[in-house]
Amino acid sequence: MRVELDNLTKSWDEVIGADSITLDIADGELVAFLGPSGCGKTTTLLMVAGIYKPTAGTISFDGQVVNEVAPKDRGIGMVFQSYALYPHMTVFGNISYPLRLQKLNKGVIKERVQTVADMMGIGDLLERKIAQLSGGQQQRVALGRALVKEPQLLLFDEPLSNLDARLRLTMRGEIKRLQEDLGITSIYVTHDQVEAMTMADRIAVMSKGVLQAYDVPEALYDRPKTLFVAAFVGNPPMNFFDVEVMRVNGDLRAKSDAIDLVIPHDRGEKAAAVDGKVIMGVRPEDVDVVDDASPAAEGLTLAGEAVVVEPLGREDLVGISINGVDLRVLVDKTRGVRVGDTITLVFNTSRAQFFDPETEASLLWA
Amino acid sequence: MTTVETAPPRPAAGPIPRSRQKMGRYFAYGFLILSIIPILVGYAWLIIATVSARTQGLLPKNAEGGIGGFTLSNWDFVFESAIWNAMLNSLLIAVFMVIGVGLASTSGGYALSRMKFAGRKTFLTGTLVLHAFKAEMLLIAIFFVLRFLGDIPIIGGFIGFNTVGGVALVMVALELPLGIWLMKGFFDNLSWDMERAALIDGASRFRVWWQIMVPQVRPGIAALSLFTFIVGWNAYLVPFTFTIGTKVANMPVFLNQLISDTAPVNWNLVAAVGLFQMIPLIIFFIFTQELLLNIYAGGSKGT
Amino acid sequence: MTQQIEEEADALARAAVGAPGPQRRPLGRRVRSTASAYGFMAPAVALVLVFFVASGLLLLILSFTDLSSANFSRAWNFIGLDNYERLFTDPFFPKIARNTVFYVVTTLIVFNLGLALVLALVTTSIPRRAGFFFRLVWLLPRLTPSVVYILMWQRIGAGDPFGIYNQIVPEFLGASGGNLIFGGSPWAFVILTNGFNGASFGMIIFTSALESIPKDLLTAAKVDGAGTWRIIRDIKIPMIKWPLLFIATYQTLSLLTSFEYILLLTEGGPGLFTTEVWALTSYKRAFATYFGNSQWGYGATWAIVLVTIALLLAVAYVKLFRFNELIEEPRIENL
Ligand SMILES: Nc1ncnc2c1ncn2[C@@H]1O[C@H](COP(=O)(O)OP(=O)(O)OP(=O)(O)O)[C@@H](O)[C@H]1O
Ligand SMILES: [Mg+2]
Repeated sequence: MRVELDNLTKSWDEVIGADSITLDIADGELVAFLGPSGCGKTTTLLMVAGIYKPTAGTISFDGQVVNEVAPKDRGIGMVFQSYALYPHMTVFGNISYPLRLQKLNKGVIKERVQTVADMMGIGDLLERKIAQLSGGQQQRVALGRALVKEPQLLLFDEPLSNLDARLRLTMRGEIKRLQEDLGITSIYVTHDQVEAMTMADRIAVMSKGVLQAYDVPEALYDRPKTLFVAAFVGNPPMNFFDVEVMRVNGDLRAKSDAIDLVIPHDRGEKAAAVDGKVIMGVRPEDVDVVDDASPAAEGLTLAGEAVVVEPLGREDLVGISINGVDLRVLVDKTRGVRVGDTITLVFNTSRAQFFDPETEASLLWA
Repeated sequence: MTTVETAPPRPAAGPIPRSRQKMGRYFAYGFLILSIIPILVGYAWLIIATVSARTQGLLPKNAEGGIGGFTLSNWDFVFESAIWNAMLNSLLIAVFMVIGVGLASTSGGYALSRMKFAGRKTFLTGTLVLHAFKAEMLLIAIFFVLRFLGDIPIIGGFIGFNTVGGVALVMVALELPLGIWLMKGFFDNLSWDMERAALIDGASRFRVWWQIMVPQVRPGIAALSLFTFIVGWNAYLVPFTFTIGTKVANMPVFLNQLISDTAPVNWNLVAAVGLFQMIPLIIFFIFTQELLLNIYAGGSKGT
Repeated sequence: MTQQIEEEADALARAAVGAPGPQRRPLGRRVRSTASAYGFMAPAVALVLVFFVASGLLLLILSFTDLSSANFSRAWNFIGLDNYERLFTDPFFPKIARNTVFYVVTTLIVFNLGLALVLALVTTSIPRRAGFFFRLVWLLPRLTPSVVYILMWQRIGAGDPFGIYNQIVPEFLGASGGNLIFGGSPWAFVILTNGFNGASFGMIIFTSALESIPKDLLTAAKVDGAGTWRIIRDIKIPMIKWPLLFIATYQTLSLLTSFEYILLLTEGGPGLFTTEVWALTSYKRAFATYFGNSQWGYGATWAIVLVTIALLLAVAYVKLFRFNELIEEPRIENL
């Protein structure tokens, strides 16, 4: 099913939950709503579900406006963070509830519940009470209940955030595979960007009720249109510097009291046109630590002092201060960086991002 | 208590000496025991009196003035039909109240807690105000309302003045604000996601209420039913005011008639009837202690 | 059911044709969504309308009539403000008003609030089972039928040789041998009977509030060297501020308008209006005797003045609580 949100807005007396959200979801696509807590993801999802009434704007399914259609008639299934299972019913009771409401005959219900339960790997738990299940099993029941009525649209509201890290990893893969196999259009709300990046066909990044960006994961990562997206997507997060980009002998150079780096023309032209400071962004993996500055890296090399070292296992996340300007880089463990070491850094400025400090819009992709 | 012992040693102030702590404990028990003496004494008398011919203070006395004179003759009333009639009336009022208050509060409390409609705020505030002041002040007007209801053809004979139904109806209305308030409190604590899930699963609001929400508030319904039953069973003022004669009297009214209509009063008989009336309450008291002590606690969240 | 489906189909069709703005939702659906809420409310609303709203209005109307058992078969006779004039010029009006204030304030402060708080504090500071036991005993008066409950107190206060107090308490503590209720101190018994019942309500509410104070907070305070008294003053009392305010106001209203125990215990006596409170006066004027003259109109006047006072207090109470801010909006919006 195709879903279109057009200027969808929800506000309460003073609070704005969602502000003029416009986006479209193609049939069979899985779209992730990604954003920090309180940014309006759940609000938007609940409007799509028909639980909240939009203050303005429209929601259309396959070209038909459904603003006034009751939740039960929207052909949707939904999975909640809290699972929202009915504790006084068995697993069978829970999964079969939507079908019983459709007054299907007993045999059909039994068969369909069994099929879905087997698909979810809980086929032998049907007689259990909800309280006797683990968190992971409960989430499978919730998923089964959403799937059993063969919805046109699946809505997920942070379904995995109550699970432990390992289980989250497995379930993530399972949900994605299931969604692809069944080809059900899905909206997946999460504040975990790894989840969004790995599962979604497209990601809608939200902040304070506003849709910041809506694109495929790689695009968000490589071509962030706003400062917020650049900062929010990617872990560890992008480093930012206040610099002025100017022409020096035909080269473009990003300069501040602490920094002086050569910037390729295709990256820096627009930034150079800005009168005054801009914000430069460099991802941690785009900074290399080297033993000695090589002549080839002329104009791309800076020296700093390690102030924090956080071992991540394979790599160390090292906080470095360059004349008082902080940045974080990933360093191979074998280097054995210690706090206080002086470090030589080579910047891959051909992947640098630039933003207007006023509008926070990208000077490359906006 | 035990936290004192496990807490790390206090700095400057220094620990409270064990002996002072012990003294505090004795003081607490002493105070509590003293405080319940009137209650215990009252019950002790009630029980002693029911099995004695006469009592002086707490002591059963025989005809010669010595201690003794135990008898079961006070209990002869259980063979008279009047008491059973009164008991039936009490039971009818109590059961009618449990059902009436239960239904109206479980549905009204749900709507007030969970649904958006014009007048919701007004009704909620109103409920709080009504439940704060005892509606006994309205009895004069209700007297006329009941006379009016009694004039309605057919059903008037069941709910008018001087009928058990009328008394029960008034009692339901008077207990309703508290009932709605308690049930709203219980519904307030339920998960919104669960209700949303049910709506998406295809249930109507009525179905969601009946099949999903009501089963979750069963402890609340149990507490409310228990409380309402006790209020109904013990009802005195409303039945006393709106009934005449013995046919429609419930137990408390019957007991009061026993006290005011006979002279000299046989206090031992009165005590026996009183204790007899308390039998269901004593059963509740023994088996539902936890619930009794939590009646207000559970539903009063949010106030 | 079918009608519902039809309406839904209808709405779907309309939705398909054009996008109706959310401000202009189809009337049918708007009505239906509120209708289901009103359906749930119907039993409660009907009862409230008949027994509170209509009764309240009727009470007001009655207060302008001279309706009584002597003339009730005739048409109601409206006498303007005569009843009100009679009320405020009643020679016992000042006494009854004073009695009422004394009764409400004393019972409230000593028992319904004070003792309730002490009981909650003490029973939560001893082992759980013991605290539970004492609270349960304190609950007994609330469960006891009022007639039986008052009977017990009457026996406690009775004169020699029947009275229990006279029998077990040494003479210098006031055991004079006479009837303590009618001879000695009627007010003491009025307040004791009401207080022993009233205290348990606050006790239960305070206990559950006290038990929900995080243990860490108390442990932290103890580690900081706070003694029992300081913990009570600086942590426990502030943490149960709302329940305290709630009980204070709730019980004020409740005491102001209830009179059942007094009716059973002293009927306002002994003598003239010694323990008579406002609510009891109203009741007695209207119902005291079926054979004498029940003055419904005049009784209604006493009631309506008291109801007005109670309502004003209640409004103050709602304001004090900022109750409207506590009301949460439902998190499901029926379409
Ligand atoms: N029913 C409501 N009434 C008033 N304000 C609300 C309501 N629901 C949500 N809000 C507000 O709207 C904003 C967005 O909330 P929402 O629940 O959509 O956030 P979210 O992105 O889902 O956050 P989280 O990741 O914490 O779940 C918040 O500021 C929230 O307080
Ligand atoms: Mg959310």
